Amino acid sequence: MEKNNTIKFLILICLLIVACLLSLFFGGSERINLSELSSNNFIFWHIRFPKTITAIIAGCTLSVSGLILQIIFRNPLAGPFVLGISSGASLMVAISILAGSALHLFSVFFIGKAFIVLSAITGSLLITFLILGISKKVNSNVVLLLIGLMLSQICGAVQTALEYFSDANSLKSFVIWGMGSLANTTNFDLLIYLPIALISLLALLFFVKPLNALLLGENYAQNVGINFKSSRFYLILISSVLTGLTTAFCGPIAFIGTAVPILSRMVFKSSKQHLHVTSCLLIGSIILLLSDAIANSAISNISLPINMITTFIGAPLVIYLMFKNKTW
Amino acid sequence: MDKKECIVLKDAALGYKKPNAAISILKNINLAFYPGDFVGVVGLNGVGKSTLLKSLCGLLPVLEGNILIDQQPINDLLLNELAKKIAIVLTEKIGGFNLTAYDAVAAGQMPYTNSFNRLKKENLAIIDLAIKTCGITQHQHKLLNELSDGLFQKTIIAKALAQQTPIMLLDEPSAFLDYASKHDLFILLKKLAEEENKCILVSSHDLDLLLKYCSKLLLISQNSFELISISEAKNNKTFIEIGGGFI
Repeated sequence: MEKNNTIKFLILICLLIVACLLSLFFGGSERINLSELSSNNFIFWHIRFPKTITAIIAGCTLSVSGLILQIIFRNPLAGPFVLGISSGASLMVAISILAGSALHLFSVFFIGKAFIVLSAITGSLLITFLILGISKKVNSNVVLLLIGLMLSQICGAVQTALEYFSDANSLKSFVIWGMGSLANTTNFDLLIYLPIALISLLALLFFVKPLNALLLGENYAQNVGINFKSSRFYLILISSVLTGLTTAFCGPIAFIGTAVPILSRMVFKSSKQHLHVTSCLLIGSIILLLSDAIANSAISNISLPINMITTFIGAPLVIYLMFKNKTW
Repeated sequence: MDKKECIVLKDAALGYKKPNAAISILKNINLAFYPGDFVGVVGLNGVGKSTLLKSLCGLLPVLEGNILIDQQPINDLLLNELAKKIAIVLTEKIGGFNLTAYDAVAAGQMPYTNSFNRLKKENLAIIDLAIKTCGITQHQHKLLNELSDGLFQKTIIAKALAQQTPIMLLDEPSAFLDYASKHDLFILLKKLAEEENKCILVSSHDLDLLLKYCSKLLLISQNSFELISISEAKNNKTFIEIGGGFI
């Protein structure tokens, strides 16, 4: 068992390296040859490199966030996108872009970014607690997902309404951003993005035991000495920061948070969550890197939206699981 | 009697807390249980047996009065200390997320592991022993949601055993078991009470089993509590009423 898992992890690490190279060298309209790679290759260092790193961070944060949500709601189909949490973050970003341009916040770069990140995190926190409240009233996993989708529609509708009141500049910036993209993050953005992501993921280390205990449900978790109320609060906080952060930089990215933990449980037939956290980091990065490479090289000279690719991967998985009606 | 009480209820009112009101289901309870007691909790459906058991391990709040576990108020105990004193077997079903029977039993050792839940040799030995004692060795690697109801019940009982607590609470553990397993379970519980001096409370509708194996009975009816020794049961009016005249 243990040996098998080591082999699986080694394979995943190899795949990650391959996916990184694919994204770095084929992830754009122009292919880069190794011979052209010097320290002043602008495309490589200022476009490809931040995009690849963004793909890795986004893959890690969204999949781990999805894993946490699936366990908290004990719903194997949950995820930040299907529960409307990404949309909540988007809505708050839309509001903050509008308010920000009115208040001229964006003239100072750092404050503008920090403001957007904070509002995205606030948006995802609000929706997560709303969903948590609703989940106590409904017993069915599928009904909860439907409610999540409705919340996401509502957030979308409010966002559309806001777009009518915005000036051309901010309209353009959040329509493009709303389609989801890994390419809008600059090297300078990474200085904010990467540290917050790392700190949140490290904070999760302290909650791996509660994560394992919560699999048994609230009552048994408490009976084996886990304070499920406080650990659930911190887990939701971590998950919301992860989702909000990535939504702030990349826009709402579909299905990664749902699909990756499901894949992880298919690959590793274990219930140990430290193992799944690690494998979600790897599988999430691999899938988003590959999606990026596919999006940029499937049709020459056209870069497809990343959400199209991730939906093609994630949605069938969810349908498949519903058909099997098996709780992974 | 020289033994010290391990559970004491003082004027306790038990039930649920809602945001704007407390709904008490059981009121004015004054009871004491001792190590080595094997108590059958008897009462009609909906009388509050599960409420009592859940409150005794802190899953439901104490609305009035107090519950003392080993002379300490239950609310003063840290969750992790409480987890080392009381294990509970509930009627709810759990499973999914690749959880196997072994994983569920292993969770019983959680109060004793570090914050990364690393299982040491001695933890593993205790888990294996609990699995063997409950007779689920061949099924330990099956997924929880693929187990039959009876095997699932045995798994959760093994989890409670692995928790190594002086007090065990079991809510209708015999409900899904086959005839032989019911007796096996009660024989095991009786042995644990007698040999390891555990205090065991078990709610059940299998009155004949309770009469055969328990040392005491707790009769719950509309807001009255009677703790009687097993020899008094046949002449007790409440017990005969609960038995519907068939016992």
